[in-house]
Amino acid sequence: MSTTWHADPEALELYSAGHLDDVRASSLEAHLLACPHCRGAVAARVPRSQLDTMWNTIEDALDAPQPGIIELALLQLGVHEHVARLLAATSSLRLSWFLAEAFALGSAAFAAQHTAGTGAGGATLFLFLVLAALAPVAGVAAAFGPGVDPAYEIGIASPMRGDRLLFVRATAVLGASILIAGIAALALPDLDWTVTLWLLPALGLTLTTLAVATWLQPIAAACTVGLTWLVVAAASSVATTDPLAAFHVVGQLVSTLAIVTSVLVLAQRRSAYEGRIPS
Amino acid sequence: MTVRADGDDTLLAAVATGDREALAELYHRHAPWLVLRLSRRCADPGIVEEVVQDTFVAVWRGAARYRASGEVPAWIWGIGIRRLISRLRQRPAPIPRMHAHDTMVSAEDEVLISVEHGDLGAALGRLSPELRAVVQATVLDGLTTKEAATLLGIPRGTVKTRAARARRELREALA
Repeated sequence: MSTTWHADPEALELYSAGHLDDVRASSLEAHLLACPHCRGAVAARVPRSQLDTMWNTIEDALDAPQPGIIELALLQLGVHEHVARLLAATSSLRLSWFLAEAFALGSAAFAAQHTAGTGAGGATLFLFLVLAALAPVAGVAAAFGPGVDPAYEIGIASPMRGDRLLFVRATAVLGASILIAGIAALALPDLDWTVTLWLLPALGLTLTTLAVATWLQPIAAACTVGLTWLVVAAASSVATTDPLAAFHVVGQLVSTLAIVTSVLVLAQRRSAYEGRIPS
Repeated sequence: MTVRADGDDTLLAAVATGDREALAELYHRHAPWLVLRLSRRCADPGIVEEVVQDTFVAVWRGAARYRASGEVPAWIWGIGIRRLISRLRQRPAPIPRMHAHDTMVSAEDEVLISVEHGDLGAALGRLSPELRAVVQATVLDGLTTKEAATLLGIPRGTVKTRAARARRELREALA
């Protein structure tokens, strides 16, 4: 690797100062790649303080936490860095959460697939639809509040309106949840309109949870809304002997009504989030 | 920074296992010439510093992917010049690099150059600065046409025509 020929000191001096002509500089640069001796000679001409400052910056960059898969994906999509960081800190926007949700919904869809046409077919389809509608509610509940939000204190102190980040996070949770449920729904026995029946209830339940959370803590709000939903869905299917009773016309209308009402409530009471529920 | 006597390959293997001191030693050996060489291609010292920092962070993260042997400086240069190009791509109008030919070259120097570098050196020296910059970027720095275009701040087609013209002139000069 080392050669016996070395560049003359005058050329090294001129090169370091940026005054060596192109031809000799090219020749010297090719030589520098192969010669540790001459590299050492030019090294002395770069200010030590500059090198030290740059090294400190490098060490800082190495010590900085590496963004995870979710955060990198968000950055790739053009999401701002600070929003991506706060979203990635959301409990229900972690890979483990997505996997758990995919597993639960996948299992339900799988069960529905295998019991299709039998007596239990309606019950398993009911299970899938109820779970798919509940998934984003659980995600929203797991995203906020002390105890579940690892960025709780940071959120309180962040210079962003409390409700704004809440909505950003809720939208992200809802979007991811709908995507996963939508994929899982493809495994249902009949690919007809029944695979989309959970969509409006999911939206309605999530928005109702956010609206109720202007009065209650998010987890309490999610539990209240979720339990009510379970009781109503189960009761209606028992009362009408149709397992999917809660997903028919009346159910879809009620869901739409819940969406509209919740949006109005949120528009009115969004300031209730300020300071209480962290962004 | 402690000074280690290990070869670059050994150091890089240590960096791949997470040895911060080995990276410090590599930085100590290779950052200075990288600063100087990049400074010849970019007149903004701030950008050069950023690029050198990025390069060594990339060395830290990519050390495990290094396969060749004995060519660590060339590998580092490859990372550095490509970082510089992607950095320059972010700004629409790259700062024109300082041309060394702004300083007058005396007839005596010309003779010395041709003595030192032979016919090729003299032939390169007779090229216009624009053609020489293209030769340097494409042949000596080993850049693609697209990368050379970004570095020099000229359209891709111009790089191609200048490279062709430079080849023709060199061929005539060496014939």
